[in-house]
Amino acid sequence: MKFVASLRSWIISVLRRSRVERDMDEELRFHIEQYAGDLVRAGMSAADARRRAHVEFGAIEARKDECREAIGLRLADEVTGDVRYAFRQLRRAPAFAAIAVLTMALGIGATTTLFSVTYGVLLNPLPWPEADRLVRLTESRAGHDPRVRGTISNGPYIAWHARGSTIEAIGGWLNGAVTGSIAGGEAARFRIASVTPTLFTVLKARPLVGRLFADDDVPPNSGVASRRLIILSFGLWQERFGGGPDAIGRILQIDGKPTTVVGVMPREFAFPDRETRAWLPFTVPSVRGDVGVTRITIFQALARLRPGVTPEQASAEGTARARAAPDPGLAARAMFGSDGPAEIRAVPAIDQMTADVMPALMVLLAAVILLLVTATANVASLQLARATTRHREIAIRAAIGAGASRLTRQLVVESSILGVLGGAGGLGLAAALDRALPSVLPADFPRVEAIRMDVRVLLFAVGVSMVVSVGCGLLPAVQARRVHLVESLSDDGSAPVGGGLRSRTARTRAFIMTGQLAISCMLLVGAALLTRSFVALLRADRGYDPTNVLTAQIPLPDGFPIERRTAMLEALAGRLRAVPGVRDVAYGNALPLLTVGGYAAFKMRPPSNPDTEVQVDAIERGVSPGYFAALGLHLAAGRTFNDADTATSPMVVIVNRSFAARYLGATPIGAVIPHLGMCRGDDDRWEVVGVVGDVHQGSVADPVQPELFLPFRQIGCPAAVAQPILVVRTAADPLPLVGVLRGVFHQQEPALALDSVMTMEDRVMTTLAKPRLYAVVLVGFGAFALVIAGVGLFGMLSYNVAQRAREIGVRTALGAQPLDIAALVFRQVAVIGVVGIGVGLAMSFIVTSALASVLYGVAPHDAASFAAAPLILAAIAGLSCVAPIRRAARMDPLKALR
Amino acid sequence: VGKQAELFQGTLDLLILKAVSLGALHGYGILLRIQQISKDRLEIQQGSLYPALYRLEHQGFIASEWGESDNKRKAKYYRLTPAGRRQLQESARTWNEMTDIIAGILGTKPEEV
Repeated sequence: MKFVASLRSWIISVLRRSRVERDMDEELRFHIEQYAGDLVRAGMSAADARRRAHVEFGAIEARKDECREAIGLRLADEVTGDVRYAFRQLRRAPAFAAIAVLTMALGIGATTTLFSVTYGVLLNPLPWPEADRLVRLTESRAGHDPRVRGTISNGPYIAWHARGSTIEAIGGWLNGAVTGSIAGGEAARFRIASVTPTLFTVLKARPLVGRLFADDDVPPNSGVASRRLIILSFGLWQERFGGGPDAIGRILQIDGKPTTVVGVMPREFAFPDRETRAWLPFTVPSVRGDVGVTRITIFQALARLRPGVTPEQASAEGTARARAAPDPGLAARAMFGSDGPAEIRAVPAIDQMTADVMPALMVLLAAVILLLVTATANVASLQLARATTRHREIAIRAAIGAGASRLTRQLVVESSILGVLGGAGGLGLAAALDRALPSVLPADFPRVEAIRMDVRVLLFAVGVSMVVSVGCGLLPAVQARRVHLVESLSDDGSAPVGGGLRSRTARTRAFIMTGQLAISCMLLVGAALLTRSFVALLRADRGYDPTNVLTAQIPLPDGFPIERRTAMLEALAGRLRAVPGVRDVAYGNALPLLTVGGYAAFKMRPPSNPDTEVQVDAIERGVSPGYFAALGLHLAAGRTFNDADTATSPMVVIVNRSFAARYLGATPIGAVIPHLGMCRGDDDRWEVVGVVGDVHQGSVADPVQPELFLPFRQIGCPAAVAQPILVVRTAADPLPLVGVLRGVFHQQEPALALDSVMTMEDRVMTTLAKPRLYAVVLVGFGAFALVIAGVGLFGMLSYNVAQRAREIGVRTALGAQPLDIAALVFRQVAVIGVVGIGVGLAMSFIVTSALASVLYGVAPHDAASFAAAPLILAAIAGLSCVAPIRRAARMDPLKALR
Repeated sequence: VGKQAELFQGTLDLLILKAVSLGALHGYGILLRIQQISKDRLEIQQGSLYPALYRLEHQGFIASEWGESDNKRKAKYYRLTPAGRRQLQESARTWNEMTDIIAGILGTKPEEV
């Protein structure tokens, strides 16, 4: 109660400052006049009475001060005075203020942005109710991961779906793309997800309009809906139906088939990502099909844990259920590369989504903290230098009665103002960066939509600003407490003779400088490592030549006749070959970084050892004769396909080096491979006619798989190639030919649309967007640290030379040569530089091991990176001491001594 | 002057509260009333009255208002607030207890120890 009353009274007094003063004046005057009046009435003369009244009242100003203090105005007044004074001081040193505020703004801005990204991506819960109970399921067989990362196969899914004690629900989905149109409207290709009806249960999602899929929308085991149904995203609904409720029940043409709209999801429903525009029903087929064939499908799956269940318990149950499920036998080998016992791993959904970026984010977060420390140190060092030149001012203030706490408060207020300005600037920078993030972050960066400038980020920025202000204001304040009145007032501003580092301030600054160099060194080593890693990724031999190659996908509607497919592709290739600037045109069903093709698993007797049957797992694809030349694959032995390899000629196959080495031994050419998929008979015999070099289908960091290439024209069924790809090698930059390609295609096939038209180089660069971003960010941090270290060093040396002007003058007068003077200054740089860089290298050596997971082709202790960083730092240190050394060496002793 | 008693530390607040509890007064009036009811046996440093008034008002024990004095001049009048009344009772009780104890101690004879 008392506190509330006081606070209220204090706020009122502060707000009505001038009124408080007026009232106080009037009240005291009234008292004195009243007393004087009484004295007059007692018989005193008017003049005597007034004098007496004043004397008895005492010192009016001192009383007023006591009154102000009594209502807590004194502190407010003093701080207001401090703030005004601080602003005056900062205005008097605009360069210092600008550098300090800018350094802080950049440091705080970078830290805040990285915090908002890290928080948003790694810690913000997923946008589903009770999202912490969602787990992603991954199946492995005898330690072999599935061909598609993070998937589960149909057997374990169905077994667990039938009965689960640790999970409430389980749902699966497959990502895809379809061509859709309303009757008569323009066709467009968009991304969809085929989802089991239970997936919505797992996510606890509700439709905005209409309904979700029901279990009986898809008859069990068929995998095909009797009636085709679709749920629209909010965006697609707006776009195609103008957001009208009559969309329910309307018919869309999806991949040429009439499909009924049953529901619309709310705007914020984005599953699995923002790009998914609609959902089709998906039924997981059982392992034993109707006609006794064994089926295995892999797809992504999500489960909701029962409350209190850990992912480990769910993993254990999943594994047990998977092992009790029907065994897909050999078919498992095609999907897992092993038919060993299944194992199910349940990982919190958020962890699985962000596993890819977490190590890099942690590295960048550590780097930005180092950056913030060095930025703070820089401002502290500047403050320290100012505190020294303000020695006299501070001493005078102390001499006329300012106590140590008063002086400290003054300095704290000054650095708080810097902190507030820097923090505001940093927050502005972070807000601007935050807005730019969606376009800056790579398309495959997870959870970009979860990054927000919210209250937490704001609080973080404020907290960081406060820590930074205190951090950089504390040192000068501590220094100020040690003011020695007599010494300071008699000081003439020169350092003690011989004392580059004799004064406490100079030593502290040198120490800070050493630390800044060490941090810069660490950041530069990190930047060098990430840059070299990125260059290694860029230059890595992928097994194909991505320059001057234009690629595209040709989605074909279901039931597109197989004969027409080959004829269409041949005709298209013929027309494109006639275009000037085109070197090779090829087609197939697989393209690195786009689509892998199929998988084959079979048994064969290797020619090198015909007595034992071995199990073969390989990637299998169909390509046109020009495929190898168009993509620039290296032919290691034998021949590539030619026009004589047709549907009726003997069946031939080309293998990659890995396949040859693993299964065929020393003489691969002429070996016979018994059975392959691609819808040919079981008694097929494919003769190996060539061996090509290994190709990295995805990231260069992933291991190469054994591969088989079949002539496109010898593939027996249409299902194997629903979306052929087109490869066009050009003589020069292929981009100008994109229009020609589209034109030629549209002219020939007006009913079809090209998809994913991209140069091969762009496909490569897209996969490198993340490493490139990390490298760019760390290089930026390194450059920033380097600049402030350089400027700091320059400032410190210039200052020292100015302080030691008299000493240098005396030395010169006594016969020291310019070289001796230069050595005097240089020695200081050398000591700071050697110690700083040495410490930096040692620290880098310790911490770069943590980078191992984000590096490719570069060891964490890469010699070149560890050599480059010190060289750059030494160059900057050398550069920063040129001007101070020159000034020292050219100093006129007469002037300096005057 | 010499025969007037000096105030104990902190008792000024108590006296002010008591003075205004008898009716709203301006600062000078408070001074006069204390002197009057103490029959001029207490002397209060005139200037020291105001910091005490400001502090008491800041703590919410008294409230002030501008009014007109007997001789038609504008004056700031103080009155007791409910919180001030409680504080006055509490302080008076403590004070009485204290003086009792001290009087008891001072009245102690050697044979009683």
